[in-house]
Amino acid sequence: MAHLPDGFLSIPVLAGTAGASAAALALAVHRSRATLGEREGPVLGATTAFVFAAQMLNFPLGIGASAHLLGAALVAVLLGPAGGMLVMFGVLLVQALLFQDGGIAALGANTFNIAVLGVGSAAAVFGALRAVLGPRPRAVALATAAAALVSTALVGVAVALELALSGLVPFTAALTLVGGGHVLIGLAEAVLTGMLVSVVLRARPEVLARHTEGSRWTPVRAVALGALILAVMTLAVVAASSQPDVLEAALERFGLAGRRPAVPAPFPDYASPTGGPWVAGVIGLVAAFLVAWGVAIAIARRRT
Amino acid sequence: MSFHHLDRFAHVPSPVTRVPPAGRIAGTAALALATATLPHGAWVPLGLLALLSVLLLALARVPLTVALARLAWPLALVLAASTALLVMVPGEPLVRLGPVAVTAPGADRFATVMARAMVALVPAILLVSTTSFPELLHGLRGLRLPAAVATALGLAYRLLYLTVDELERLQRAARSRNAGHGAAGRRHMLIGVTAATLGRAFARGERTHDAMLARGFTGTLPLLHATTWSVAAAVHLALLVILAATVSVMARLG
Repeated sequence: MAHLPDGFLSIPVLAGTAGASAAALALAVHRSRATLGEREGPVLGATTAFVFAAQMLNFPLGIGASAHLLGAALVAVLLGPAGGMLVMFGVLLVQALLFQDGGIAALGANTFNIAVLGVGSAAAVFGALRAVLGPRPRAVALATAAAALVSTALVGVAVALELALSGLVPFTAALTLVGGGHVLIGLAEAVLTGMLVSVVLRARPEVLARHTEGSRWTPVRAVALGALILAVMTLAVVAASSQPDVLEAALERFGLAGRRPAVPAPFPDYASPTGGPWVAGVIGLVAAFLVAWGVAIAIARRRT
Repeated sequence: MSFHHLDRFAHVPSPVTRVPPAGRIAGTAALALATATLPHGAWVPLGLLALLSVLLLALARVPLTVALARLAWPLALVLAASTALLVMVPGEPLVRLGPVAVTAPGADRFATVMARAMVALVPAILLVSTTSFPELLHGLRGLRLPAAVATALGLAYRLLYLTVDELERLQRAARSRNAGHGAAGRRHMLIGVTAATLGRAFARGERTHDAMLARGFTGTLPLLHATTWSVAAAVHLALLVILAATVSVMARLG
């Protein structure tokens, strides 16, 4: 349910997301003109038509299920964040006005989730991973797949957060259902987008070469961003752990609570030997940061 | 394939089609916003807004059967999105379904959200039934939609069904060569077809754009039947917005 219908979100959430979307789109208009120049119209038009057409196709996944392409990661990889945001906004606008897929009042929220956050995060993850992994076709396809998975999962988290902030459902329930659902959708999106980009790379490499050439991503910047995101996410998880854990709730439901873990945790329930849960959280945060930094530096050194 | 089946009532003269497209979009947004943001349990204001929307449908002379047929699919989407609410809200369980339970607050929120979404869909149906795509684009441009997005949408409107037809043609060609056997084979075939369509869509976009520039395209698509503002249209629109705002404020106060 990435396309939220009308009636789900509260006024502050609608206003906040609409404001954020308008600001991001204004920036995207400015940037897109700078990167695409004269060819902006035909490129954005063709991509918008293509995203609509591709969303109508159902790809069999081979496990008795099929999925259709969402397109946010694909346009981020094809056009970069600015052009991608404008294309996805155009798609969402037409879907809301012409096909009533997603509400008109909720257009700001849907734009924020899919066009701004979805395309923006996909472009960031793709740019960073491409800088680290290098320009080989397989590496680019892998970076695309990872970008699709991360961005779809983030959209799920954003939708869950918006529903919770609107007072409709508790955050943990929304995160489990909507966020979990989006991780599954993201896996399908990752497979489809990765495969599609690898075929496009072989058949028409110039389509992709366009915006990735002058990329500002260097391996060190990419690693720094990755480590920062990991650090923020770890902090968020620690902050959220005052609420009952989703995993623990699931274990309790299935009658597995209270069993001894196979591997004892260094700080069970965030009880640090040197202080309260926040100290344990900070120690974990620093450890996670250092591990991520070390691994990424090692990969970056090998590639450059 | 074309968009024309959507535009069947776009040129029926009525008080609604006499309002220029930008005004129609603004009115639709006002009605949808007023409906979507009604407080929990405000059933009377919701009924009033529903009545107002249905009245506008009747004024625009959109047949009820057409409106209902157009409501069906979006309603199915709303139902799919809101069903989870039944079991996601904690509270006193009404019905147990295995590991999950339908709760009383869950059922309450489901009913409210479904009703709000359903009523908010009516003005959207009215807009799409009374406004052709070029008019819609013109209206959006009047409401300060960035030129880049407007041009992209204008071109996408020209290219969409060509692209869809191209996808179908390429699939047919691949199938006639016995490609796409089994799930994995079909997936590979579809990926190949989609990638080829992407390349062709880019090439066609550039060709079409060049041709449009050669014919004097300046960035806006001209309208054949441009509607201009009249005093009556402005008064009608203002009346609609004031009514929607009044119902919204009344619902919030009492």
